[in-house]
Amino acid sequence: MSEKAPMKITSNKRPVFWAWIAVAPLLVFLGVLFFFPVLSLLGISFGEDQLTFEHYLRIGEVPIYRRVLLNTFVISALVTLLCVIVSYPVAYLLATVSPKVRKILFIVVLLPFWTSALVRTTAWIILLQRKGVLNDLLTGAGLIDEPIAFVYNLSGVLIGMTHVLMPFVVLPLFAAFINIDRTLIEAAEGLGAGPYSIGRRVIMPLTAPGVIAGATIVFLNSIGYYITPALMGGPGQTMIAMLIADNINRDLNWSLAAALSVVLLLCTVAIFVVFQRVFGLERLLTGSASRGSTAKFSIGNNGRTGGGWLTFACGVAVLIFLIAPILIVFPMSLGSSPFLSFPPESYSLRWFHNLFEEAKWMRGVFNSLQAAAVAVSFSVVLGTLAAIGTMRLGRRMRPWLETVFILPMVIPVIILSVGLFYMLAPLGVIGNPATLGLAHSVLAVPYVFITVRASLVGFDRNLELAALNLGASWPVMFRRIMLPAIMPGVAAGAVFAFIQSFDDVVLALFLTNIRSRTLPRVMFEGMVHEIDPTIIAASAMIIMLTLTLLAINLILSRRQS
Amino acid sequence: MKTIKTMLLAGAFAAGALAAQAEEMVFASWGGSYQEAISKAWLQPFSEETGIDIIEDTEPEVARIKAMVETNSLEWDVVTGGGSTLMRGVAYDLFEPITEEMVDQSHVIEGAKNEYGVPSEIFSTVIGYSKEAFPDGGPQTFADFWDVEKFPGKRALPDRAATVLEAALLADGVAPTDIYKVLDTEEGFQRALDKVSSLREHVAVWWSSGAQPVQALGSGEVVMALGWNGRFQAGMDEGLDIEMSWAESIAQVGYFMIPRGAPNREQAIKFLNYMVQPEAQSRFSEYVAYGPVTDKAWEFIDDERKARLPSTPERLENAIFMDIAWWADNATSASEKYTQMLQK
Repeated sequence: MSEKAPMKITSNKRPVFWAWIAVAPLLVFLGVLFFFPVLSLLGISFGEDQLTFEHYLRIGEVPIYRRVLLNTFVISALVTLLCVIVSYPVAYLLATVSPKVRKILFIVVLLPFWTSALVRTTAWIILLQRKGVLNDLLTGAGLIDEPIAFVYNLSGVLIGMTHVLMPFVVLPLFAAFINIDRTLIEAAEGLGAGPYSIGRRVIMPLTAPGVIAGATIVFLNSIGYYITPALMGGPGQTMIAMLIADNINRDLNWSLAAALSVVLLLCTVAIFVVFQRVFGLERLLTGSASRGSTAKFSIGNNGRTGGGWLTFACGVAVLIFLIAPILIVFPMSLGSSPFLSFPPESYSLRWFHNLFEEAKWMRGVFNSLQAAAVAVSFSVVLGTLAAIGTMRLGRRMRPWLETVFILPMVIPVIILSVGLFYMLAPLGVIGNPATLGLAHSVLAVPYVFITVRASLVGFDRNLELAALNLGASWPVMFRRIMLPAIMPGVAAGAVFAFIQSFDDVVLALFLTNIRSRTLPRVMFEGMVHEIDPTIIAASAMIIMLTLTLLAINLILSRRQS
Repeated sequence: MKTIKTMLLAGAFAAGALAAQAEEMVFASWGGSYQEAISKAWLQPFSEETGIDIIEDTEPEVARIKAMVETNSLEWDVVTGGGSTLMRGVAYDLFEPITEEMVDQSHVIEGAKNEYGVPSEIFSTVIGYSKEAFPDGGPQTFADFWDVEKFPGKRALPDRAATVLEAALLADGVAPTDIYKVLDTEEGFQRALDKVSSLREHVAVWWSSGAQPVQALGSGEVVMALGWNGRFQAGMDEGLDIEMSWAESIAQVGYFMIPRGAPNREQAIKFLNYMVQPEAQSRFSEYVAYGPVTDKAWEFIDDERKARLPSTPERLENAIFMDIAWWADNATSASEKYTQMLQK
């Protein structure tokens, strides 16, 4: 024993060393581009010239801040809950259809992201307002007498936010679904379990890591929302990010904005700790992995069960909800009036004409793609490495690192934007698309980290050890064993990273200039006064391009097979 | 080695000489039809007349101006903003004072003048209403706007306190000259808040973007709204069935400022002088329905266009100017109380 002990230590220490090597790049990256700029700005919450607590006292004394914090967390929790509920049938649907149909459904799930927040909310308002499409349908069918107020209240906020945040649950949940070992379900069926108990006792626990990863993303993301609640909610749904952005942008009350951000951060971390204590986040994430499934999840030999069909129907309904506002974008983009209505009273190509006439739109698309390319590559590499490294570190270290890597989601983007500007402007790199791409990587990296981390939970370490023992080098093992296993997580992370970059307005506002404006920034110009329907044409264009690419892909794959 | 250095130096001199020849100026405003109007009315003709190249940028958020000024990375020579942007910037010493020697503003309307900015246009917060809902004449005064018996139906109000509190006090019978005296007292402020609160259940849309009230009127979501005259006018011009009341209005002023450390300060001053001249002032309203800041501009404007503009002497007689100094002092606490009132 006494001889073996030192051996054991060395064999244990080397992986830890390599784990730190894997984690280090992201730590350094976030240290420079996130913690330094953000902490220097948050520091002014204690006064710009001398130490003062007046801003914290103000937040404690003036009731509106407590109320708005409460609004923020209640709305975020409700949105998270809704996202989880509606994502289950969709993920089930995705997991049980043919690969070709799945490809189409994936695009449908991700389509909301392909439009700007402004376009999405505009489309929803057209659908849901008092004299909107839905109310017309309901009153026309005699189901209701008086139109229902769907928007400009809580339901408006919930619909708008669930719509755009849902894909963050669907993707990891789908990854969890296809990893479920078919034999487990067959065994349960063989033992007499009905669809309900299979759902509750097999599917739910096995998909828990995916759901928790998705729900975490949705909850943290919701906290920072302000465009959707401002446009689709009422004053009762004021969220904290709105007050922070107002204090930064409009009132120049940066100390108060910083203090609000600190309070928000502390509350979020506190909620997390409680959540972890009560629900045992760590146990859920690590305890219930399916070990290297031998049979992929699919419908059983007898076809769908009753519960299966019900879930199927719910999934289709949710997909309709997802694409409804996207579909009306097309006719709206052909309307001739700048004051949008549906269906348009007269048609014209006015907005498409604008789109091609003005160079700023196409240049915006190009700049956006450049920034996104940088953001996706940096965040995927750094996030994946860090996720693998974190898994190898001890239980005590892990929660700290996880918190550090997730923090960029919690800090309002406006704080990061201003902090980065002060750091980067003296270096003369503002206006370079690569700078914006790096800043976007900061936003994107938590998504990659969370999704890869969740997929690693399902990865059987014995496979890794077996490969290494059989003489494979670590890179070979990684490429041939680990990467294929965690690929769905990496891919979901990459998609999320792209979306973060492609949808960002706030960082772009501070870090681009007239030559490097991205598409979302061009779209937001002038929105103080008006909504330029050209943005609807631009969205319609992007959707059509995506669909064309999909069609080409489908035709090519059909030829190959 | 030496030759290379000489060549480089020569090149640098040549580039410098070129730059000196082609004067330029960077102008930043808020995009959309507003900036397009500025470009057509002022930027393009000024550039043609003087040979100064103008580069147009957008979104000059006061936060960005502050960050640029403080990091010595200012790209803008002229920025535009409303009164609150101006006053916030002044508090942080972001804008150059505009003296009489720099820009002659003796002909400018008194209520529009400011030490740190040159006024560019006057716009008003007015009542817009649906003609379909009120075929026999809609609400005229702010008291009418608050009168839900005589003028039933849903309303739209700004989700910010500015202009709403003023309108509420006018509706409550406070004399136009006393508005800010009343708001300055705690009871007076509460009186304004209570007045807004009393209308709350009749407000369907609390708008945050200028496009919303017009959209809401056009779609029938509301039957009347407080909003900017230029936006209502744009809706009417596109054929929406709406109308504005000029019986009472709250006038606001747009300003052009020179941020401290502007790289092309001389050109910026030239431009501001150009823009504030009566003839140039009269041109802006050809493109958007915002009024000139000098009475001398009216001789260049025909009656048809005059009917669309908020700053005619007759209309200003029924208007109060928003007191931007009062709002600068009270912005944070007023917005805290206003938002709190809306929560209940």
